[in-house]
Amino acid sequence: MPTDLAPDIINADAGPKDTGQATYLDAISLALDHEMQRDPDVFIIGEDVGQFGGAFKVTKGFLDRYGPRRIVDTPIAETGFTGLAAGAALVGLRPVVEFQFADFISCAFDPIVNVLARHHWRTGDPMPVTMRAPFGGRLRAGPTHSQSVESYFAHVPGLKIVMPGTPEDAAGLLISSIRDNNPVLFLENKYLYRRLRASGPISLEPIPLGKAKVVREGRDVSLVTYSAGVHQAVELAEELAKDGISVEVVDVRTLVPLDVETIVDSVRKTSRAVVLHEAATRMGYGAEIAAVIQQEAFWHLDHPVVRIGAKNTPTPTSPPLEDAVIPQPAEIAETVRKVARA
Amino acid sequence: MIVAASPTAAPAAVPADLADRDPQLLRRIYEYMVLTRAVEDRMVAMYKGGDLLGSLYTGHWHEGISVGAASTIGPDDYMAPIHRDLGAHLWRGMEPWAVMASFMGKATSTTGGRDGTLHYGRLDLGIYNLPSHIPANFPVATGMAFAAKYRGQDRVCLAFCGDGSTSRADFHESLTLASVMDLPNVFVIENNQFAYSTPIALQSKSTVFADKAKGYGIPGVTVDGTDVLAVHDAVAQAVARARAGEGPSIVEAVTMRMHGHAEHDPADYVPKAMFEEWAAKDPVELFEKRLLAAGLVDDDAVKKVRDDARQAAIAARKKALADPMPDPSNIEEGVYAD
Repeated sequence: MPTDLAPDIINADAGPKDTGQATYLDAISLALDHEMQRDPDVFIIGEDVGQFGGAFKVTKGFLDRYGPRRIVDTPIAETGFTGLAAGAALVGLRPVVEFQFADFISCAFDPIVNVLARHHWRTGDPMPVTMRAPFGGRLRAGPTHSQSVESYFAHVPGLKIVMPGTPEDAAGLLISSIRDNNPVLFLENKYLYRRLRASGPISLEPIPLGKAKVVREGRDVSLVTYSAGVHQAVELAEELAKDGISVEVVDVRTLVPLDVETIVDSVRKTSRAVVLHEAATRMGYGAEIAAVIQQEAFWHLDHPVVRIGAKNTPTPTSPPLEDAVIPQPAEIAETVRKVARA
Repeated sequence: MIVAASPTAAPAAVPADLADRDPQLLRRIYEYMVLTRAVEDRMVAMYKGGDLLGSLYTGHWHEGISVGAASTIGPDDYMAPIHRDLGAHLWRGMEPWAVMASFMGKATSTTGGRDGTLHYGRLDLGIYNLPSHIPANFPVATGMAFAAKYRGQDRVCLAFCGDGSTSRADFHESLTLASVMDLPNVFVIENNQFAYSTPIALQSKSTVFADKAKGYGIPGVTVDGTDVLAVHDAVAQAVARARAGEGPSIVEAVTMRMHGHAEHDPADYVPKAMFEEWAAKDPVELFEKRLLAAGLVDDDAVKKVRDDARQAAIAARKKALADPMPDPSNIEEGVYAD
């Protein structure tokens, strides 16, 4: 050392291309590729991210394009490579960590909570680490491959938590996450990976963290949600519109920081709120949203805030069991209808 | 006591083991070992006198390890030390008053009183400020080394842990990553016989901690941690290897934790005979005697080094005591970086 470094881009022709109808997964690949291209300090680290292209193929072609210096396959060592990312970030790099499944993030709880999250507050040093993790159920993957992990981390000061619900947001929010000087937990709903498609080319403009979005306007009830809840809510709103119920869908997009204003403005308008997520209702992030709504918009409410989430069990494997635990469209529709008409 | 001949009266030729060394470096190492001891002794008094907030973690009998290892690397290199390594911090420019301020929760501590006690590392000195979950500094140390390699920089990262730390996942995962990736790391295991009250025999079936290196396919060496030059040489060799791109090494430095885990701990679980045996192996005294015998310092110089260190510790206490406590009005600021 020092040695001759491999170039930042090895093969400019490899890597993801926008087809004009990018999936949620494609959008994430495009955003990653964009940031890798733009900033030589960005690198990707995780299990099977190189030759294999990642368990879900988010980084397919990246090894050819950027080489092993920037696409770093690791041993099975989540504590190790998360802490490694922290050390690299402290001295100026911008690591993007991939957890193969969000379930495995528990193995890195210590470096995330005790190293990454509190370092800036303790010392003033920036800690730009993005942690991507595919989470969630509906893939029949069972109790330790289906978890929603946002609430574990939402309690920890110093972390940002981003949970996009569309391909467009996934790209723009990931770009902002990578450019952010804080540790960001970027939670990708793996059920959406190949099920949602963009309706045109993906914009690679950053979307600011901390801004919720009213994705559909309505008068009767605010359906406040994030991640996979967004497309469910939009579909539901269309269905209920046929019955004359006007649902406003608010996509929270980033749990931390939380855009209280957009949520509260919506509820002040509709006077009713339902909070929807896939995670268990008990101590889920919906509890925070519901508390914020009652605190900021109590005198505008015509009905108690209602939370919809999973039952308080681990996520089962077998389809009838999993469907009984994770909120289903019919159940969500019934609840929203009830609140809107009460 | 009457001695036949003072070793400094008629300086002999410098013994072979010191002859080919830089005498200035040797004297500097000695000064920092003495300073480390003086600051810690002063802080023990401060703990007993009620100056400090909580407990006090010291490194008596670790001075040869912290200074011996830190003196092998340059200012551009990185370090991830633990709470026994005051000497390593001082070597890189940390001021004694700032360490005291950290144990007092003062506004002038490196974290402005947000963190305290042993958490005073400064990134501008290339030192990672670790949390309490030791060896959580190990994975971070691999990342600092990774960044150096990523950028083709001639930098290494020296990380420290205790015997107890070797049982944790961070240790294993860091050694696994660093060895597989050939990272420019040196991992120093300070085997001081006890992790809080747990003796090494209850920590590991193999109590030669350097042997763990075999499992990672890297070099591992055990040295006498009370012999500062033995530590210095072993770490220097490992640093050279890391700089050459040949990957990480383990250096196990064997010593004794001569105080409790922290000052609140009387360490009554340690057999008395063990303390008595190790009392004869004070690394500061041992090195001082070697330098005196070699004529590299004389009695006057020793007295001056010791007096200067004592005065520095007294002055540091005075400043730390006078420093203000932090203002809580901005406590919610800085949770996030801009």
